[in-house]
Amino acid sequence: MTLYDETIDCKGMQCPMPVLKTKMKIDTMAAGKVLKLITSDPGSCKDIPAWAERVGHKLLSNEETDEGYLFYIERGE
Amino acid sequence: MESFTALELFESMKNGEVFLVVDVRNESDFNESHVEGPSDFEIVNIPYFDFIEDEANCLAKVPTDIELKIICAKESSSVFVATILESHGYQNLSYLENGFQTWGDLLVPTRLHSNGYNLWQFIRPAKGSCSYVLGHGNEMFIFDPSRNVEFYNEFAAANGMKISHVFETHLQADYISGGPQFEDVIYAVNDEDFSWAAYEYYSLADEEIFTLSGGYQVQVIHSPGHTPGSTTFIIDNKWMISGDTVFILSIGRPDLGGQVVEWAKQLYHTLKTKITVLPDNLMTLPGHFSCWKREFNDGVIGKTFGEIIELNSNIYSIDNENTFVEFIKDNMQPQPDVYSEIRKVNVGVINPDSCKQKEMDIGKNQCAASAAQQ
Repeated sequence: MTLYDETIDCKGMQCPMPVLKTKMKIDTMAAGKVLKLITSDPGSCKDIPAWAERVGHKLLSNEETDEGYLFYIERGE
Repeated sequence: MESFTALELFESMKNGEVFLVVDVRNESDFNESHVEGPSDFEIVNIPYFDFIEDEANCLAKVPTDIELKIICAKESSSVFVATILESHGYQNLSYLENGFQTWGDLLVPTRLHSNGYNLWQFIRPAKGSCSYVLGHGNEMFIFDPSRNVEFYNEFAAANGMKISHVFETHLQADYISGGPQFEDVIYAVNDEDFSWAAYEYYSLADEEIFTLSGGYQVQVIHSPGHTPGSTTFIIDNKWMISGDTVFILSIGRPDLGGQVVEWAKQLYHTLKTKITVLPDNLMTLPGHFSCWKREFNDGVIGKTFGEIIELNSNIYSIDNENTFVEFIKDNMQPQPDVYSEIRKVNVGVINPDSCKQKEMDIGKNQCAASAAQQ
């Protein structure tokens, strides 16, 4: 179980919304804090990791669960 | 805001129009597969999430003096990016309706023959593959259909025809066949490839002849090599549906089944005893093509068998089995991992949901390998 500080639920949203909402949320967090993100759009499987890498956030884990696609992202500097 | 369909995009390419495709999908999806076609248009990949993070830098990559065609996975990210571009004064832009998947599924029918019977080639630009439709009266035969079965059914209905037979040149590994999904048809395939199928099928025999209404004949030639069950069909002594045995710029690779020497030998014997003995004037219609520039002429992928033998004289001139096997081995390339899964779907032993099948059919999906990343 990964520990996290904040959570955001993007189920039911299609791209670009999950990335947009995640960006807005993580921008409010301090570096090193962890965001738990859930999406239902299969497109986010690759888009979220690709975006996080681009921006300098650290993707701690990424898995498909019964609830949806679950990501833990650590805010970068 | 203007939009375009996948077919309209293909027509724009075919007409040699000048435009820039802005593909806003992520980089790995773009690298796996992106729009290509019969003309050299410009294309750039700028993921939509880059527009979210660094708009100015993205705008700097998009020229203002050329028509822009924006493509994303579904549609909404294209509209998102188009809206940003419009707000910065870009005017000549449009987006792909329903996203990249519609390009992946696109079939472009072209009539090859209309005297007596009708023969159409259905080019699938995204895969570089071709299927064929033969019709007379109200009867229709289909060869190597892709998974967009609805399109073939609607095409048959629009021409007042009913699909009676669906043939496969072999068990496909690179795309999901629509064959098993057709209802109330004879699904005619070769045992050597399909004996492990989870459904009933009609087993093709070498030299068997099918007669279309009107008396037009389709001759079956068992031509093992690319796969053990590979089959070539000769229509009306004029057309060769060559599947993955004869290509315009190559031959089908016999190494996909992991038995390269044995299958290469089979292919050598097939070419020598069953294929090169066919008349040079047969118009050869392959299952795949690789080069729009050299293979797509007047809207059609096809050449006479004589021209093909000349174009590939380095292959057809080999007259020794061992030399042929060595030639094959020297030209081997790795095959995508998804091929073994696609074969299983095509014989019905696995049945992933439609969404998963779309992904398999268009390219590899990396979602399952989702352990913690460093």
